[in-house]
Amino acid sequence: MFNLAFDNFNAILNMDGHGIYVWLVYSISISIIIASFVIARRRFKNIENKIKIKNASS
Amino acid sequence: MLMVGWIWGLLFAPEDAVQGNSYRIIFLHVPANIFAQMIYYFMSVCALMHLVWRVKLAAYLIKSAAPIGAMITFIAIFSGSIWGIPTWGTWWQWDARITSTLILFIMYLGILTLHGAFSNLEKADRLMSILVVVGVVNIPIIKKSVDWWSTLHQQASISVSGSSSIDPSMLYPLFISVIGLGFTLISLGILNSHSYIFTREKNKRWVSEHV
Repeated sequence: MFNLAFDNFNAILNMDGHGIYVWLVYSISISIIIASFVIARRRFKNIENKIKIKNASS
Repeated sequence: MLMVGWIWGLLFAPEDAVQGNSYRIIFLHVPANIFAQMIYYFMSVCALMHLVWRVKLAAYLIKSAAPIGAMITFIAIFSGSIWGIPTWGTWWQWDARITSTLILFIMYLGILTLHGAFSNLEKADRLMSILVVVGVVNIPIIKKSVDWWSTLHQQASISVSGSSSIDPSMLYPLFISVIGLGFTLISLGILNSHSYIFTREKNKRWVSEHV
């Protein structure tokens, strides 16, 4: 069950001609998920800063 | 955990006898579809809580979960489309499963658009909750579409209650990918809801004390 399914790195990339589909799907999806975290983190920091500024001024 | 599931599925799971290596998209496509539907179920429970008991937090959670639902539904549709090219010879087909999932994606966008269209946020919360409850009818349709209609999309290979028609060497990494994606989306949901609650309650004393 834990044997590598491919002989070498090229075979991993190529996946018998299906590599383009598989790697395209994973790379774009991972990018979308990471971007969602970055946006969410930035939004959180923004609102936190706004509240801190408000607290400081009051 | 998500990375463990994906690396196991991408590099160590055996090649599929029929679909070859393109089937490895399953480790992303199936978890994405599961959560595209589960997030909507979660939102509909929150919507009922908001409509029946006027729980404000429930509406905040819907608003925080909807972009995550839209994102993961997009990934589900996109991964399915790309998988369809080598498997079916087409990236799109107006069959019941794919169309109902597209409707789910449009529902998520509609919920966000509707909420953004009102300046009165309490009214926006109520109308958004009503739309969520109305749209929940689509979820069992997505689930059962492959059984009710003759579709290009195959029937379910895995089942929670019955036996799965997928080999354990593929099932285990798939299971880990589902759990891993679940934790990933919960983390994102916590982050989203945290900032949205702060945004809505920023004038309250408890928020000022918390920051």
